[in-house]
Amino acid sequence: MTDFQHPRSETGSVPRTEIVQLVIPCRAEYVGVARLAVLGIASRMPFSYDEVEDFRLAVGEACTHAVERAGDGTATIRIVGTIDPHALTIEVKDDVAEADMAAPTEEAKLLEEAGVDQQGLGALLMEILVDEVKIETSPAGTRVLLTKYAPEHE
Amino acid sequence: MNLTTNSRTPSETTCILEIEGEVDVYTSPQLKQDLVQIAERGVKKVIINLSKVEYLDSTGLGVLIGGLKRLREADGNLALVGPGMRIQRIFEITGLNKIFDIYETESEAAAKEGVIL
Repeated sequence: MTDFQHPRSETGSVPRTEIVQLVIPCRAEYVGVARLAVLGIASRMPFSYDEVEDFRLAVGEACTHAVERAGDGTATIRIVGTIDPHALTIEVKDDVAEADMAAPTEEAKLLEEAGVDQQGLGALLMEILVDEVKIETSPAGTRVLLTKYAPEHE
Repeated sequence: MNLTTNSRTPSETTCILEIEGEVDVYTSPQLKQDLVQIAERGVKKVIINLSKVEYLDSTGLGVLIGGLKRLREADGNLALVGPGMRIQRIFEITGLNKIFDIYETESEAAAKEGVIL
């Protein structure tokens, strides 16, 4: 299911706060869809190519975190982009309930044995790639807020 | 969104794996499967050419680390070749460029790893 609201700026600038929303199934094959949407959203901001790509990777990591916790159920991920002249904030919110979480994969176990925390790698990437990361976890799901400021507002 | 892998085995214990496309939570199981099959054939040195990889996330990094661990435990190695600037940056910001041997070309990797292409 997708639910798009495109910003309507004819000049290409961001005159006021605009919201873009997308809802995807919480499954691996849809994470690429989220990344594509973020590419479009982040391109509305005065970010460099690298900054847009950084944001795309950070959102991909937030979605991956949700997908890896989800089982084969019907969980969804809601992505809400808030575009304003000062910053881009993207919220990645899943409804993967604590009770429905999938068991760690063999690869995750192997990595743990090797002293590597893959979820930690994802969190590290998010921390480095955007200006602010906020993660809130509840029994009903996880909410990740990623913010990057426009260059002149840093 | 897709991933293509091509492998060639210049010797019984060496494999060159060329990856093209995006390595993420959807495609990384395919890469993992390839690496497991290569290791099970008794290959000790794997050289992965990343020059055509457009996207790599933490799950892809995890698969590469898993492969590196398996091969080094068997006295082998997993070396990386030709990552583009974006991919190279991911290795640098995670510090994994200090764990992996990363070369610019396959011939340089072969010379340093002591294998014949």
